[in-house]
Amino acid sequence: MTALWRLTILETKMFFREKVQVFWTFLFPVLMIWLFGSMFGNQDYGNMTFASYFVPSWIGVNIVTTAFFTLGTVLTGYRETGVLRRYQSTPIAPWKILFAHTVQGTVIFSLSAVVLIVFGSLMLDLHAPRYLGSTLIALVLAVAAFFPFALFITSLAKNTQTAAAISSLFLNLMLFLSGATFPLDAMPNVLQYVAKILPLYYVIDLMRASWNTGPIWEHQTSALVLLGISVVSIFLASKFFRWSGKNE
Amino acid sequence: MEEVISVNNLSKRYGSTKAVNNLSFSVKKGEIFGIIGPNGAGKTTTIEILEGLRKKDEGEVLVLGMNPEKERKKLNNRIGVQFQATSIQKKMKVKEAIQLFGSIYDQNNTNNQIIKLLGLEEKMNKYFDDLSGGWKQRVTLALATLHKPDILFLDEPSMGLDPHARREMWSIIRSLRDEGTTIVVTTHYMEEAEKLCDRVAMIYNGELRALDEPNRLVEDISSQYVSFRSPDFPVEILKAMPDIMKVEHDELSDTIKVYAENLQSCSYLLFKEAEEGHYHISDFKFERGTLDDLFVHYLEGGQTA
Repeated sequence: MTALWRLTILETKMFFREKVQVFWTFLFPVLMIWLFGSMFGNQDYGNMTFASYFVPSWIGVNIVTTAFFTLGTVLTGYRETGVLRRYQSTPIAPWKILFAHTVQGTVIFSLSAVVLIVFGSLMLDLHAPRYLGSTLIALVLAVAAFFPFALFITSLAKNTQTAAAISSLFLNLMLFLSGATFPLDAMPNVLQYVAKILPLYYVIDLMRASWNTGPIWEHQTSALVLLGISVVSIFLASKFFRWSGKNE
Repeated sequence: MEEVISVNNLSKRYGSTKAVNNLSFSVKKGEIFGIIGPNGAGKTTTIEILEGLRKKDEGEVLVLGMNPEKERKKLNNRIGVQFQATSIQKKMKVKEAIQLFGSIYDQNNTNNQIIKLLGLEEKMNKYFDDLSGGWKQRVTLALATLHKPDILFLDEPSMGLDPHARREMWSIIRSLRDEGTTIVVTTHYMEEAEKLCDRVAMIYNGELRALDEPNRLVEDISSQYVSFRSPDFPVEILKAMPDIMKVEHDELSDTIKVYAENLQSCSYLLFKEAEEGHYHISDFKFERGTLDDLFVHYLEGGQTA
């Protein structure tokens, strides 16, 4: 087996060895939806149901959690404890390490999405996405935007604690202000503008739309914004990639 | 003997502090070369420049005929590195780490002998994080040697090991040398330098203070002395004797150490004085200094050898 695949498989395996992380990634969103559902399940969501309004957006939230915690914070930890530096003195290329983590993150995120969808279908009468192709494209765009974005942001942190703090800040901001958990219409005008600065807003826009109302080309702005974030973040993340926290 | 590493006038600064200052030495094929010095002397900086992990400011460095900064990828295939702080993923099993690192290198002949030599078979299914310090060191040493590197860099390999584990580590390092690997090791344990290394470079404040075989270093005049115990011998008399370099008097144990150019004539005068003055001398010894003594000597004196 090549080093690339071995590392990818190992990183995925090691994720499941951290029980606390597994809980937060897979069960926390389910608990939240269940909780919100029991509080706001009977409200009016236009032509959408509670499930088709919130499950797609929580899938979007899961991309953020995976990006910041499973990828970003973990890699910052590797940088801090010298794991990356250890690789630096072997012939392995840096892109292989990032690739392994990206694949690992994608696998974990996909599993968490499946968990949410299964829960939604069984408990909340969630219907399948109306524009499945668009939903999948939206997910690919979201992953391509958020993974490098989180890798870049957390690489600015010197240690795991700081990276976790930065990640929590981003996650909470987006969780509450991007419309993922509370409907934006119910918020003051100012906050509705703030929402549009947050990248998650565009993910949720695409997810909800493709799940319920229309295909992705009816939401080109959101798709382009994500594509833009992706290109810029990949550039920044690779330009500022560091093997260790120390200077050379 | 063939040179595998040559360093000429190497300098490295961090801001305004000089970590390494005009350092020159060379390492011969198949030797255990020690870089010793107190914490912060520039050992790790030096070794990391050789590994291509840090950029030098001035000077020339050649490792296996390559420039470590420019040809790091190529060099990485032929060197093995063990860092000071052990560093692999906590939840990785020993077996998994060995398979992973084995697959990284071009050579597809994973050195299974090293696993036997280190006794790792019984720990293969343990998580790295669950191992004791000594076993962690063994695992990272195995990872550094799996691909049979030409040069092995060890940064403080016995730090945190108990005396028994340390001795085992030395014998493993020696057997790697006997198989033909050149080994560069940093340490601040003088005993380690004395017992393990074939040659030793002593650095302090980033400068080379001495470089030779350990037993030659301790033959240095400045590390030889006579010692004896006496409750009543007046130290002033000693200090007034000819050719005396230094007298150390430990009043708690009544031990006196005398450093002199000519220890034989110094001893003669010493006993003569004792007989005439009826002073008691016991436990008289000619001492051959250890690297420790030499080390302290350089630290205190600060002169260059």
